[in-house]
Formats: sequence, structure tokens, C-alpha cells
Amino acid sequence: MPPYNEKYIEVKPDEIASRSAMLFRQKQSLRTMFASDERELDGAFRVYAVFSPSNIDSITILSMAVKDDGDGYSYPSITPHVPAAHWYEREIRDMFGIIPVGHPDDRRLILHGMYGKDVHPLRRDVSVEDIKKATDITREDDYEYMQVKGEGVYEIPVGPVHAGIIEPGHFRFSAVGETIYYLDPRLFYKHRGIEKLFENMGFVRGVELAERVSGVSSFSHSTAYCLAVERMAGVELSAKANAARTLLLELERLYNHIGDIGNMCAGTGFAVGYAKGAVLKETLMALNKRITGSRYLRGVNVLGGVRVDVIESADDILKTLDSVKSGYKSLMAFLLDSTSHVERLEDTGILAKDIAWNLGATGIAARASGIGDDVRRAHPHLRYPSLVFETHTRSKGDVYSRMMVRADEIECSLSIIESILERPYGGALSVPVTAFPAGGCALGYTEGPRGSIFYWVKADAKGGPLRVKGRSASFCNWPVMPFAVHGNIVPDFPLVNKSFNLSYSGCDL
Amino acid sequence: MFREIFNNILGKKPAIPGEELTRIAGKAETFEYCGERLHAIFGRSVRIRQVDAGSCNACEWECTALGNPIYDVQRFGVDFVASPRHADILLVTGPVSLGMAEALKKTYIATPEPKIVIACGDCARDGGIFKGAYGSMDGVGSVVPVAGYIPGCPPDPATILKGIMEITASLMDGAAKKS
Repeated sequence: MPPYNEKYIEVKPDEIASRSAMLFRQKQSLRTMFASDERELDGAFRVYAVFSPSNIDSITILSMAVKDDGDGYSYPSITPHVPAAHWYEREIRDMFGIIPVGHPDDRRLILHGMYGKDVHPLRRDVSVEDIKKATDITREDDYEYMQVKGEGVYEIPVGPVHAGIIEPGHFRFSAVGETIYYLDPRLFYKHRGIEKLFENMGFVRGVELAERVSGVSSFSHSTAYCLAVERMAGVELSAKANAARTLLLELERLYNHIGDIGNMCAGTGFAVGYAKGAVLKETLMALNKRITGSRYLRGVNVLGGVRVDVIESADDILKTLDSVKSGYKSLMAFLLDSTSHVERLEDTGILAKDIAWNLGATGIAARASGIGDDVRRAHPHLRYPSLVFETHTRSKGDVYSRMMVRADEIECSLSIIESILERPYGGALSVPVTAFPAGGCALGYTEGPRGSIFYWVKADAKGGPLRVKGRSASFCNWPVMPFAVHGNIVPDFPLVNKSFNLSYSGCDL
Repeated sequence: MFREIFNNILGKKPAIPGEELTRIAGKAETFEYCGERLHAIFGRSVRIRQVDAGSCNACEWECTALGNPIYDVQRFGVDFVASPRHADILLVTGPVSLGMAEALKKTYIATPEPKIVIACGDCARDGGIFKGAYGSMDGVGSVVPVAGYIPGCPPDPATILKGIMEITASLMDGAAKKS
């Protein structure tokens, strides 16, 4: 029995493109798309495409069986109709060897040159040893970067090891003078094989792994993962556990957003603003440590609830937030008062609404471009159904808009936390989750600081994990970056990059 | 802006008072001690190149936090630099993903002698939670020679500074015994 808001529709390979195109035209976002090796259950691979609108709590999941047609596994690509699917389909091709016929980009996405060309890591009959045997870290990478040709065009290669304390990735700028014509980001240097590891770890230990998918979204990832497994197992959480998780999700959003607003100052060389933002962030990290024992809110989530009763620390939380609130208010007034800072932000890194929509941007990136999508309101979960809050959007899509959406959401998170702490909650901290239905599957989702996070889990015949698919917000937002920096000058790239604040680790899995 | 500058000049208060640091970081005393030891060992010049080799990014944020006004490691002469050519210490995080192995080796070669490699975080030691994943080399030690490990997932800023101090201090002691 799938959870209440998930509707699985069986489609044939020749229907999937038209069905997806129809849903996409109805303004349903492509939430995630993935394949799953279910040959041990019914002899076929399956490809799933998950669509849902931003205003109705109903998720449509197109499910398609892909069988060997004698010439390998393939199906007609949906990317020509739904551009947002382009990375997902390349991922499916890399990881399962299922070919999306008609996909405009036949380069490998996730697996770099060192991985064997004929090894598809997420196939169930491919073991970790098989994959390691086929890899050779000295093998040259034959990735072809997109080239811009013409007089005066030159390339600037940057990375994978960058100049600051940041994650690795390669950026290939094609520039004329100082102006960026095109940026081809090459990511997945950090690919560790987390999805395969989930299958080998079991559902219970998977929580720890989900916490370590992306550092500053630890709690959002582990919550989305737990929700997926709990929904699959049909477990209802206590009011107390729901309240605690909601509170911590908002605390995570708070420290990220405040830190991001501060970091944007580093992008404009505004050291005082950066330092003030960093102090506020540090204060919130110290609060996290006091109430949960972890600065990154790790070790709190377990299947069935939480380990720590954070509601008990209400006094500490409210007192700290009071001081953060006044510090944050004076920081914002200070930043907006600084013309040199604000002028760098305005009209920089504009992401047009149609590009954001077509490429499936999520979170801050989408809301700053006028797409009012927030999973907390689209698919209410935890305590969100009983909370009153708005979806904050801006229409211009520049760096300034992204800062202001964050500012609005900080106010919103502060008031959500206050209203959660207004009353007591009953019930146990956690309920035991021990049985996982054979062949069961479910989605789990939450709105992380960077945007929506989706997990999909499926159990095998024995109740162990058959497939765990995690989709972080950054996976959706990286492809829009080249469009946001187009026409900007190279020195503004760090600023635009900081305004999105994307995770490499969450994207690379 | 001018009001801010004016207030700072007239107020003459440090950006973060000492008791504030104790309240927020909780480890001010050991933190100061570590900083001064490092200062004594390197004489106001420890240059660290941080290399992310497949971590979850939490360790990087803790390294960034070391530079904020609360910890402010620059006052001990500790600084994170942009190029391995300027570095004394390579602070490597993550289990080393296959994609980063070659880049880490090249970074190591580009660092001038004498160089110290410190593996930061549980997964940098032996792969940690990522141990056994097909894309993980299960620890920094499998790619470049490591002088020491800093435990934690992630280690907090004070622990990172303490780890750097202890590892370099033990190297100094070892070198002193030899000569």
C-alpha cells in the first residue's frame, strides 16, 4: 500500500515521454527521476519519474518497466519534452546502463574516466569488487567540455582543487575579456558511491549515512530519509517527535541562511558584514551543540522519531534566538545601508524564471526567480500542516533577490520556532520501527535550506533495502548555474556561486 | 557604515569579549593554549592548505569557522592559504574519493618540503562511514603519507586546532630526540 499522497501509474516505454510532457505542462515539477534494478522481483529494471504540483498534495509517479530488447536496455528519452530530466537521465545511463534514446547529451555525468565504461555500479549483480576491478585512477579522463569558438574567446580552467576552503569541482569558463560566455561545470569528483552503500548498510544504519550526505544539510537529509522509511513501514510518529524534527529543520535553515547572507559579503569583499554573519552563525552552531550534542544536528534522528527531547531546552532556544534576532536585524540594516554592497548584488547573476522552471530549479534559486514552490506547503509533513506561514518569493532572480528571500525566510523560521515552543507535546520520543514490508516503497521529502530534498526507498523480498535514491537540492540547481553567470564578469562568479550556495557533496553522493 | 566605524573607534571594545568566547565555544582556555603552542613552534607562521578529498563538507565549514571573529586563529599566525606552494601543512578531509585521488597526489607534490599531511575527520582516517563504498579509497593514508589524524565527525574548530598543535608538537619532539 503506497502512502496516501503517492499515486503510482504504470506506463509503457512508448508512453512515458508524452505522459511526462503532459504533467510538466500542467505545471507539475519533476521532483526526481531514477531507475531501480528490480530484476530479482519481476525480471526488469524500472524507471520512475516523480511529478507533483506546488499547490496540491498529490504526487504522481510514472513507473516504467525496461526489459532487454536483445540490444541492451533502452527507452525513449523524456529530456526533449522535460528539460529538467537531463541530468537524471544521464545519471540513469551511467549507473544502470539503461540508454535514454534521443537524449541530447551523450557524455557521462557521474562516473569519471577512471571508472570502467561497461560497469554500471547500481546494478544489483555488480559487486563493489567488480567496480573496483574495472577502475584505474591513472586513466585519462576523456570528458569533452563544451567549447565556445570565435575571435578573442579564451578558456579559464579552475579546479578541482580551489583556492579557498571549498569543495572540489572543475569549472571551465569560456570568456571574452572579463565577460563569461559559457560555464561548463564538471562535478562528481566527490562521488563515493553512497547509494550503493545504502543498499549494503540496511535501513537502520542508513540514517547515519544520510546525515553525512551533505554537511550543513545533515538534518534535512536524515529527516527526508527517515520519513521515506517510516512511510514505507507505515509508522505514525508521536506529536513530540514531529515537533522536535520540525523545530530542528527550522534551526538548520536559520543557521544556513544567516551564514549565507554573511558569506555573500565575502563575495563582495565586505569583511565587516562577513564577520558579523559568521558570529551569528557560530552562536547558532553553539546552540545546536548545547541542545543536541552536535553542531550539525547529527545523531538526533532515528527511524521512528528522535533521540533527544529538544523541546525541553525551550528556554535556552528562545533566549539564544532573541539575541540572534536582534543581531540579525542590525546586520540586515547595516548591509542594506551599504550602497557599495547592495549595488554589487543587484542585477548580478540573473536567473530567468523560464530557465529556472524548465531546468527544474528548487528552493531559494527557484523562489528568487518567482517560482513559489515550497515542499513544506506543497506536501505538508511533520508539524507543518498546523503551522501558518507563507512562501516567500521575489521576481527578479538576481543575487539581491536570493539574499532577500533568505532574509524573509529567516523571519519566518524564527516565528515558526516560537510557535512550536508555545505548547507542550505528548507521546514517546520515538516508536520502534523493526519490520519493513517486503517489496514496499515510499517517498520521503523535506524542504532543506537549499531547496527540496527527496528520498525514495524500496525494500527487497526479505525487507532489506533494494534501492535508496537520494536527491539533494543541489542536484537540481547546479545545471542552472551556467545560465545565471552568462554575461556576468569572471570576478562576480564567486558572488553568484555564494548566492546559490550549492553543495558538491550532496550532488555527488 | 560611518556610524559603525565611529562606534567601534569610540567604544574601544574588542569585537568579541573573552567571556563571550568561553560561553560560545566552551573551550576558550585550551584553545588559547593550543594557539600559543603553535605560535611557539612555528613562530607566527603556520600556513595550511585545506584539501577536500570527498568529505561531506562539514569539516570544511569547521575550518572556515576557525577564521571567524570568535576563534580568529590568525592571531596565532595560523592561516589558510590558496595554493599548496605556500603551505606548511596539508589538512586533508574526506575518505579520498576515486575522483580526488589524482588531484590530492598532485597537490601533495606541489607542496614544498618540509610538509606535514594531517587527515581531518573520521572518514579521513579509514573511510569512516564511507568505508567499503566503491568510490572511496578508505582514508588519506592510502594515497599520501600522513603525519597524524584528527578524530571527530566533524571535529569542532577547537579540536581541529588542538589536533594540528599536538601533531606538529609531537613531530618536533621526535625531531629533537633524533638530533
